[in-house]
Amino acid sequence: MDDKVAIVGIEYSQGDDLGLTRERLCFRTVRGVLDKLGIDRHAIDCFILASNDFLEGRTISNVFEDGPVGAYLKDETKVEMDGINAVVYGALRILEGNYDTAMVIAHSLCGHQVSPYLQVQYSLDPTYDRQLGLLNELSGAALQARAYLRSRGLDEGWLDRAAAAALANGAANDMVTRSLDGADESKVASSSYLYEPLREMHCYPPTDGACAIVLASAGRARELTDRPVWIRGFGSSIDSYYFAGRDLTRSASAADAARRAFAMAGISDPASEIGLAEVSDLFAYQAPLLAASMGLADADEAPRRFAEGGFGKDARLALNPSGGALSAHPVCATGAVRVAEAFRQLRGEAGAVQAGEPRLALAHGQDGLCLQQNTVVVLGI
Amino acid sequence: MRDVAIIGVGYCPVFVSKRNDVSIPEMISEAVWSAYRNCGLTPEDMDAFTFGNMHTFEGVNMPHLWSADHITALGKPIMRIATGGTTGMSAFHCAYYHVASGLYDTVMTVTFEKHSEGDAQVGLAGIITPEIMTMLSLGIDLTGGSGMCGLGGGSAGGISFQATSYLHRSGAGIEHIDAQAALERRNAAKNPYAHLKDPECTAEKIAATPMVSYPIRFGHICPTTDGATVCILASAEKAAKVADKAAWIHAVANCTSDPTTGNLIEGLITDPAEQMSCQIAAKKAYERAGIEDPKKEIDLVEIYNGFAHQTLMYLEKLGLCEAGEAHRMLERGETEIDGRLPVNASGGVVSTNSIGTSALNRVTECALQIMGKAEGGHQVPKKVRKALAHGWGGLMQYNTVTILGDAPLKR
Amino acid sequence: MGEGKKDFRVVSGAWELSGFNFRVEGRGMRLMMRGMKEGKFTGIRCGSCNMVYLPGPFYCRKCLVEIDEPVDVSDHGTIRSFTATMSDIRGNPLAEPQIALMVQLDGCDSWIMGVLRDVDWREVRIGQRVKVRWKPPEERTGSLQDMDCFEYE
Repeated sequence: MDDKVAIVGIEYSQGDDLGLTRERLCFRTVRGVLDKLGIDRHAIDCFILASNDFLEGRTISNVFEDGPVGAYLKDETKVEMDGINAVVYGALRILEGNYDTAMVIAHSLCGHQVSPYLQVQYSLDPTYDRQLGLLNELSGAALQARAYLRSRGLDEGWLDRAAAAALANGAANDMVTRSLDGADESKVASSSYLYEPLREMHCYPPTDGACAIVLASAGRARELTDRPVWIRGFGSSIDSYYFAGRDLTRSASAADAARRAFAMAGISDPASEIGLAEVSDLFAYQAPLLAASMGLADADEAPRRFAEGGFGKDARLALNPSGGALSAHPVCATGAVRVAEAFRQLRGEAGAVQAGEPRLALAHGQDGLCLQQNTVVVLGI
Repeated sequence: MRDVAIIGVGYCPVFVSKRNDVSIPEMISEAVWSAYRNCGLTPEDMDAFTFGNMHTFEGVNMPHLWSADHITALGKPIMRIATGGTTGMSAFHCAYYHVASGLYDTVMTVTFEKHSEGDAQVGLAGIITPEIMTMLSLGIDLTGGSGMCGLGGGSAGGISFQATSYLHRSGAGIEHIDAQAALERRNAAKNPYAHLKDPECTAEKIAATPMVSYPIRFGHICPTTDGATVCILASAEKAAKVADKAAWIHAVANCTSDPTTGNLIEGLITDPAEQMSCQIAAKKAYERAGIEDPKKEIDLVEIYNGFAHQTLMYLEKLGLCEAGEAHRMLERGETEIDGRLPVNASGGVVSTNSIGTSALNRVTECALQIMGKAEGGHQVPKKVRKALAHGWGGLMQYNTVTILGDAPLKR
Repeated sequence: MGEGKKDFRVVSGAWELSGFNFRVEGRGMRLMMRGMKEGKFTGIRCGSCNMVYLPGPFYCRKCLVEIDEPVDVSDHGTIRSFTATMSDIRGNPLAEPQIALMVQLDGCDSWIMGVLRDVDWREVRIGQRVKVRWKPPEERTGSLQDMDCFEYE
């Protein structure tokens, strides 16, 4: 897709406990991006929220968010998925032609409010899986981790090194307000097992967070910023719920989502064209698994290279220089944060985690057990 | 901007209190396959899916994940939308934007609710759980016997305040709400996909039902229903190839406002019968559809009425009659199936409410009326050229509007 | 199809809410409770559009700016809507219908709810003037219960 829809502004924050109510978090995030752009709420044509009623503990949870996000007497809707899908919906709205601007706001308060695993627990088949009680987000991930380790000939020590590499990136990122310093291989290896082979530090941390992204049509984008980041393509895909029938060592739907996004972006050789990838890696094995599934890296080489820091900010492909979801996973906002991280990388504004001068970046979000549903957005400058 | 058409509608076979013979995904798949049969398409034709329900009612989070296999969505893009009562229409709007963007040709909207597997009252009270908890901690009296009865006097709920205010503003009486409820129960009797049906229903019969909270009687209130509805949208090119009949989307619009019931934490501002967000959404939809005088140009209406007074109130708010005129239209029989402006020929939400489907059913009913495919005797005799579907949700503050036509919009 | 076929089993489940620790904004509510203990209402005004909210939120939804200017609101007002409920929150019939009001207090743009007593519910009208009946000072604790009910002016 050529210059049709741009991202013109972002504002996000994430941490163990941001010490805010969700209303104030939404307000602060939206106010922040509006102030950066020098506009007021009336400059926004539509508001697209991403949150989850199960995480919020309330039905129609966007009801009391409409005020703080500035949607009073405005066009507002809610995507109840990972926030990257709200970015896609915003792009669709602008492509349709009636809107010049769209505000995406994704958030959750998983850090202090609720056990994030609960929401996945409640997405399971209530007549069987929930009755049996064996399956949950962590046990599913442990099964997938085991399958992945075996297929690539890796041992559990690899998980420790992969997690340490991701967390080291997160420690350098000033947009992750968690104390990750010193989260090295031995510290990861000594964290307790949650579901063998997954230890606590192989798994995402419960995180508070919010992310606001302003999208604009080509004409409006150039009025709002001199450095728009263009949405080049997007795609999403879903696998079967019944994951016993899936090949867990890769993600077919992530591959399909990426294929769709690359086709829209006119990318024929993603491994050489994409300079930066921000993927939602909820568990230590997922970043290389996803990168390989999406055709960004060789399936055999990816895991070792990732654990050795071979996808660092100086590499040809920088993979999760932000620290990824393993460093901060505000459920619902995580995929939107990947878009925001890609945005600031493409504009050269990523500070300590800046990964060269990427021209084309990929952002990824997921929902469901063992990477069931995946969405990919390709951004370019 | 591309022309987008509705080319297929699918309902599950019945809308009833309890579908004990099917699970959630099974019930949804009934509607999916019904839609395929009705328009002669197959899963291979589908480019993307949108999905809508309110998942706290069944206690299954993000059920599009569990249902992906059953709705033929594997390997396809899917987007799940949730906006409360309006969810079905919001998911439909999302599908519209998919096609109108130019990126997808054929998109399916899947909606459902299976209330019998959960507790609708708990789900609804869940909207303000944290507020109730806070007010309890601050000394609220749950019996509503004194002080600031933040829960609206026991079970009354905000909707009673809306109805009282509507009656005050319009000059209508409670007998008009009775008559409206009776009309919709009679219409429902002609709709094979309606829940509460009574071919002989009268205002007197509704008036004999107990008063729940003035001016709301039991007979004014929607049931909780199990049901699923599916709608297939297509680009003009695809529609020309595969569809014998189509209903064309002329405009979609929506608007939110503040929550207006009993929320002491945030304070409340607007009169719940003012429905400014409905007025704004309707105005925007008329502009987009090139409609200058909705009173003359709209031939048929489907209104989201969880409670019978809302049919009358929203007729006014949508600009389909003057303020205070709706109950006069009812008296003159103009809103009957064979009237000048048939309103809720389907029986409305007050007769059938499986929440995720309810706002989409307003759209699909308008589409079927335009295509001349409404079953069971509720097809209106007049030719329907333009129809308006309305959705209401959130905490009384959220409205959606869709305008359909029998031909593509002349731009 | 439908309800005829009984080839099913029912499995029970619950939606466990115990995991939540809801946070709500405190300032506006605290201001109001402090005032109520003294038999008055305190709201918050938006310095930008002059809208007065009771209880005051931390932001103005029209202007999307933070607000924190306390302002006194009268305890007299006008009925904007009402209902009379015949049952309690659990659906049990009440001996006497309870009248619940939405009242716009003088000097305030938002509305509050309250009970109206000692009146036949059939006589209540929108537009009727009412005032707050406070509990005696020694019984007031800084709670929502400090206001006993509304009564006609």
